[in-house]
Amino acid sequence: MKKLVIAAAIAVWLLTTQSVVAEQVTVFGPWLGPDQEMVKKVLSAFASDSGHDVRYVGSDSFEQQIMVDAEAGSAPNVAVFPQPGLAMDMAKRGFLTPLAADTADWVRKNYAAGDSWVDLGTYADKNGKPQLFGFFYKVDVKSLVWYVPENFEDAGYEVPQTMEELKALTKQIVADGDTPWCIGLGSGGATGWPATDWVEDMMLRTQSPDVYDQWVTNQVKFNDPRVIEAIEEFGYFARNDKYVAGGAATVASTDFRDSPKGMFSSPPQCYMHRQASFIPAFFPEGAVVGEDADFFYFPAYAGKELGKPVLGAGTLWAITKDSKGAHDLLKWLREPKAHEIWMALKGFLTPHKGVDPNKFSDPTLRKMNDILLTATTFRFDGSDLMPGGVGAGTFWTGMVDYTGGKSAEAVTQEIQKSWDALK
Amino acid sequence: MENIVGGKSALVWAVHLSVGLLVVLWLFPTVGLFVSSFRTADQISSSGWWSSLGEVQQNLVLRAADPDEFRVERDGRYVVEGTLFEEGVAAKITVWGTSSRRIDEFKPGDVADLKKGETITVDAVGNYLWSGPEERMKGRGQRVFVTAQTPPDFTLANYDNMLFEEDNLEGMSNAFFSTLTVTIPATIIPIAIAAFAAYALAWMEFPGRSLLIAAVVGLLVVPLQLALIPLLKLHLGIGIGKGYLGVWLAHTGFGLPLAIYLLRNYMASLPRDIIENARVDGATDFQIFTRIILPLSYPALASFAIFQFLWTWNDLLVAKVFLIDATGETTVMTNHIVELLGTRGGNWEILATAAFVSIAVPLLVFFLMQRYLVRGLLAGSVK
Repeated sequence: MKKLVIAAAIAVWLLTTQSVVAEQVTVFGPWLGPDQEMVKKVLSAFASDSGHDVRYVGSDSFEQQIMVDAEAGSAPNVAVFPQPGLAMDMAKRGFLTPLAADTADWVRKNYAAGDSWVDLGTYADKNGKPQLFGFFYKVDVKSLVWYVPENFEDAGYEVPQTMEELKALTKQIVADGDTPWCIGLGSGGATGWPATDWVEDMMLRTQSPDVYDQWVTNQVKFNDPRVIEAIEEFGYFARNDKYVAGGAATVASTDFRDSPKGMFSSPPQCYMHRQASFIPAFFPEGAVVGEDADFFYFPAYAGKELGKPVLGAGTLWAITKDSKGAHDLLKWLREPKAHEIWMALKGFLTPHKGVDPNKFSDPTLRKMNDILLTATTFRFDGSDLMPGGVGAGTFWTGMVDYTGGKSAEAVTQEIQKSWDALK
Repeated sequence: MENIVGGKSALVWAVHLSVGLLVVLWLFPTVGLFVSSFRTADQISSSGWWSSLGEVQQNLVLRAADPDEFRVERDGRYVVEGTLFEEGVAAKITVWGTSSRRIDEFKPGDVADLKKGETITVDAVGNYLWSGPEERMKGRGQRVFVTAQTPPDFTLANYDNMLFEEDNLEGMSNAFFSTLTVTIPATIIPIAIAAFAAYALAWMEFPGRSLLIAAVVGLLVVPLQLALIPLLKLHLGIGIGKGYLGVWLAHTGFGLPLAIYLLRNYMASLPRDIIENARVDGATDFQIFTRIILPLSYPALASFAIFQFLWTWNDLLVAKVFLIDATGETTVMTNHIVELLGTRGGNWEILATAAFVSIAVPLLVFFLMQRYLVRGLLAGSVK
């Protein structure tokens, strides 16, 4: 009898202490559908490691909802930001909690190009003091050109290694009576964003990274001749009726999700499509990356000696409601295991140097990750770093106007004006 | 006499025709969506829904079977045999080719020479014979580009996936019942409050009554988005938090101005004599309200109930702000559908199917109560 009482007492004690340690950690992010299943797998691994009760909720209107929740005071513990610009705003208004003090050092040491990842996650807090608020987990590479290898084989084309070769190939395809590119900028309220990626990639291929950084912070004005040059480099491809499937007039109205499907039609509407690493989700059903479709690095000019610049983006995890569980989660994300779980699924790249590359679910992901790790210059998507009114506003609409036939000078002038108005 | 009768019938015809035209015009997008919900994602993105209704000529990229698995040796050559189409597809090939550059190079029955001495031949119904010399045939199945007449092809897979697949089934039924939990109280509460308010504003004399009515009408134009953050702050402050109670209150608040306005106009149009007679006979205001006004206002109440039900059923914004918290325990149909669409959207086939799944209940409500709708809409305008 006595033994039973003691056993019961121990059981009760165990239960109560457990419930003190374990707490609910809520995570709010932009992923839905299949992505949601994947992030839940990662989080459930954290849950079983830590004993916390982890909940994930996704939303397609993440940007608006996190603001509403933060303002009202019902924020989740951890928020996953698709763009640093929004996190910067929230840090300035005091809605974010700085990460543990040793995080910055850890990122510097363990991430490829660690300094730039620290810089991208460091913002001024309410008092203007710069602190590390964001931890990058899951990144995308944007400087990729997708193609159908068998179509290249049929026509006898080679994968271009330099921008000069890419332009020559573009002309060659036109000379052979076909259309080289599929470009689509349509994306509902965000129509125009794929063009900003083009321009950023062109910026990195025509100017030094310093100029890019100054452009993103507006030290180099938007209507600077160097920016206009980059936009016109994009126009070289997008504003030529012969270079784009459907003609230049359809660029702005083609949905970016439908655009790559032109490569797979019979006969092919186009041969190449420049888009980020997530785009295979919108390939026709059954298309296997690596076989039915493949990619090559969006090449740089051989004649400019700017190295091999890579444009990317990523999601940034930040603490929106301080709790021990939230800090535990951010700390757990440093473990290679946290990265390897998603690597074994789909669509995940990481700058973490300590992970086992054999864990990637397919060789193409590994190839993409190598592009990321071996880049001589890595720059974050510039429009995500610009103030929202420009990077998610006039830059988008400006590029739609540009593909519609407006001059680059007029477009950049307007964008600069809108930027001045925000200051 | 005859002239007049003839003229009238021409007018009737014109009215009927234009009504018919309007109905077709209104239904056109819905029909398109309905047809799309029976098509696969690839079909939706490659051709319009109208082209799926008859037999169409399609350019298809098909692939022979994997030689590593299906290769057999015959007369000193390796052979892969099979059919390009899936079983049950009755397509008729007119021309075909093996290069993306020349998709109409061959006629059915022709033999095409491939690299390394391999040949392939395809007949009109898609049977192929692919053979190679003695060195082993390897790699992927040969691509074949065919131009074929294909019969209409519809699938129930979208509905199957959405309603009967195990994961979705649980999520969908969960979402369905929590949507009902949101909508039913969110319809009844505002009606109950608005009926009392409308009676008071219509038939009880008190100072400032017209000002109060003007204020209610004024509230109709206030966009609810303005109130989201302050209202959520209030809910969190008084301890309601995010949950069903919060979303009921929010829907009630946002629905009340229209409810009061509609019901007051209707009640004010009821004959004054009845109410005065009741007063003379000694009825109290409460008795007049419950015995006379409420039964007479039935059409107006029902029509507002339809409005409010449809609006709360289709709502996503209010549910996202006041109901769905970060624990993920509560959801509504609209939110569940958005989740199914994926991170970057674009799954049109799910969108089309979801539209018809979620439309089912509102349609039922509408058809059951539609005779009240018109009567209630006309409330106060005609006698």
